Amino acid sequence: MTTEFKHLEKWEGTLASCIRCGYCFEHCPLMKHTGWESDAPRAKIITAFGLLSGNVQPTDYVAHRMFSCFYCKRCEAACSSGVDLTDIFDDAQRDLLGMGFPGPGTASVTFDNCARCLVCIKACPHEARSYDGDAIATDPVKCKSCGACVEACPAGAAQIIHNYGTGKTDLTEKVTQFLEEGPSAKAVVYACNWSFYPDLQASELPDEDEQERDYKILVNMCGGRLEMPVLMAPFLHGARGVMVACCPDDECEHQGNLRAKKLVESLKSYMEKMDMDTKRVELVQIKAGDKQDFQMHIDTFVDTLNQLGPLR
Amino acid sequence: MKTIDEPRLRDIVGENNIKSDPSDLYVYGSDSSVHQSMPWVVVRPETTEQVQKIMQYANAEIIPVVTRGGGSGMCGQAVPAEGGIILDMKRMNKILEINMPDVYCRVEPGVVDDDLNLALKPYGVFYPPTPASSRIATIGGEIGNNASGVRSVKYGATRDAVMGMKVVLPNGDLVSMGAHTRVEASGYQLHKLMVGSEGTLGVVVEAILRFVPIPEYRCLGIANFDSLKDAGEAVGAIMGSGANPSMLELVDSVAIQAVNKTMNLGLPEVAAALMFEADGMVKEAVDYEIHKMEALCKKCRGKDIQYSYDPKERAKIFMGRKKLFPALSKYDDSLASTSLADDMAVPYSKMADLAGKIHEVAKKNNIIMTAYGHCGSGCMHTKILMDTDRQDQWDSARKAITEIYEFVHSVNGTTSAEHGIGLSKAEAFKAEKADSIALMSMIKKGIDPNNILNPGKLMQAPDNWVTATDLRYSVHT
Ligand SMILES: Cc1cc2nc3c(=O)[nH]c(=O)nc-3n(C[C@H](O)[C@H](O)[C@H](O)COP(=O)(O)OP(=O)(O)OC[C@H]3O[C@@H](n4cnc5c(N)ncnc54)[C@H](O)[C@@H]3O)c2cc1C
Repeated sequence: MTTEFKHLEKWEGTLASCIRCGYCFEHCPLMKHTGWESDAPRAKIITAFGLLSGNVQPTDYVAHRMFSCFYCKRCEAACSSGVDLTDIFDDAQRDLLGMGFPGPGTASVTFDNCARCLVCIKACPHEARSYDGDAIATDPVKCKSCGACVEACPAGAAQIIHNYGTGKTDLTEKVTQFLEEGPSAKAVVYACNWSFYPDLQASELPDEDEQERDYKILVNMCGGRLEMPVLMAPFLHGARGVMVACCPDDECEHQGNLRAKKLVESLKSYMEKMDMDTKRVELVQIKAGDKQDFQMHIDTFVDTLNQLGPLR
Repeated sequence: MKTIDEPRLRDIVGENNIKSDPSDLYVYGSDSSVHQSMPWVVVRPETTEQVQKIMQYANAEIIPVVTRGGGSGMCGQAVPAEGGIILDMKRMNKILEINMPDVYCRVEPGVVDDDLNLALKPYGVFYPPTPASSRIATIGGEIGNNASGVRSVKYGATRDAVMGMKVVLPNGDLVSMGAHTRVEASGYQLHKLMVGSEGTLGVVVEAILRFVPIPEYRCLGIANFDSLKDAGEAVGAIMGSGANPSMLELVDSVAIQAVNKTMNLGLPEVAAALMFEADGMVKEAVDYEIHKMEALCKKCRGKDIQYSYDPKERAKIFMGRKKLFPALSKYDDSLASTSLADDMAVPYSKMADLAGKIHEVAKKNNIIMTAYGHCGSGCMHTKILMDTDRQDQWDSARKAITEIYEFVHSVNGTTSAEHGIGLSKAEAFKAEKADSIALMSMIKKGIDPNNILNPGKLMQAPDNWVTATDLRYSVHT
């Protein structure tokens, strides 16, 4: 085992230039989910510096942190020092992997029930999955935790274990809670983390204001990770409509927007057959960072739902 | 280091709200300052009762407690200089009440400033102290540091906006301070004492804050100057004229060049630029203020004057100032932008002299320093660009800073206008407040006899801030 940080070394100057302002906090889905500073991008930069300077020892625990990232790169866009955060994460991961600490953090893994159909290999936009004739392996450095394999795997064997609240079960739980506890609840908005988040980042509204909320934004990381049951869940709990927000054409790093479009189309055609108004499902493509545009779409959507009334 | 009774703390805050892995402690051992020092454990209380229980335990065992909001302080306020427990307040994040008829809101300390303003917006009001770091700064941290920002020239600092609060004292007692009313004359204004006390006197668990209406009109102007002196004269002229700017910002030539170099903004490379803004509910009133400031800039030889009400145009005018931080970080690969001696205030008439002094001292000590700031509040910001690996650069920085503070104090200025003292400004602070340090220490001792709350800060911090804790950089001698 080596403890040399061959890849990380070159970033020493950059690690010093991070002014540790924490402007990345509000953009990070991990930090938003756990509320722990140690899950924020700034913490990974501090940890990387600690690893290089010998103040932090490489362990499985540290590797879990360094391999946990959905690569939305929102932190980079917000960084007041222009630090290439995810390139640094990649190099830290390379070194940790070389030392025998493979994460997985948010990287996908394959469980034993894998049927070796190899669908996931084709589905992976990052060439992170391979088959050696015996089993499927994931390169945790190449894996960008987009979840395309999870969505594609017919056996449910490809999984992201650490979802940070963006997994199927977490999302449906949040949907149920919002719709059952909020007297004004009408719509659920599934937003990928790129399409920005025009909402409180870390605080809670007063009870009365909370009860008056007619929609809830749930971050699901990438539109491509949505599955039909997740999309249908709000309707089963009395929602009037569901909105899906993803990136504009050609701007999604994992072509997840294309998968989201297909999914929404098939839901719409199913709704048509059921004689439901298809305006109750809407897909919007939001340019990264365009909070205002997103809010406008949400407001118009809620207006439409108010006109349509509850689902009978 | 004392042994921490982790099971007891776990009982108080719950399994998922305590961390003690060395890598977590390392992360919580720094903030946005140059300092680094590890806590022994990090806990996240969710209720006032939990805070009280933690304080009772820490007080009985005499364990340091450092309260932490966003950890964005620039002088090491939230760095546990003597180890101990970090109280991470981010889970106490509820906006409890927005009371329009009584014109206040009640919040828990972990509420993020931007979140509060987003919640207030539908009511047509805003919480005005707002530092530039409002996207991360918590109300507790803003109270701790008496934060202020670009609009404080008109709307005041945190201390002006806080009407009252609930505080857990070091022994675990809960006290209410201040009132729910606009004015109060009932004894000592203890809540005002808490503001700016940097977590050394109590843990704020609830705050009552006042808000103001969002103005209908906002107009931003800019004037260029061929000499810093002229720009400084314009500041004094504007503030002395009774004008009521909602923002008055200065940027110097070093700052303008840095933005041009790294962001290619093509700003005219003049000696200084002054940005002036007015806001209000009636356009004529805003016009009046803007024209008044325009005329005064002209009188002080300001040129290329332009102004606009249009949000996009305003953003363009403000771009140079807005991009300054990233520009300084990217100025030169071998240099890091450090926050040291970064927010002194001087009387208006001394602004230009201070900027000149900063340039002179930087040159003499072979470091790069820029002068910019909220000159309408008398606040001057600087950043020191230096090679943080080199010990001699730290020595130069310390020498330069000492000289600048001597000047600041000689013209009746103050050490910190908005970022606070923490560790890195203690030397200058103690020099400035020489005759009241003993009184401050008595207050501290009276409230915190065991000295458990954020020990080693403010008047307790050592003079030599370079060696006060580890530096967060790799310094080679
Ligand atoms: C890029 C950048 C720009 C900045 N711009 C400004 C600016 O324009 N104006 C300005 O004033 N500051 C500015 N700051 C400094 C800093 O962000 C502010 O002072 C802010 O208020 C700190 O808030 P925080 O929640 O991060 O507090 P922390 O850094 O976590 O804590 C600050 C202090 O408050 C104490 N504290 C925190 N919570 C409590 C509580 N509940 N009870 C008692 N004490 C508590 C802490 O112990 C500590 O002493 C800037 C910082 C950065 C990095």
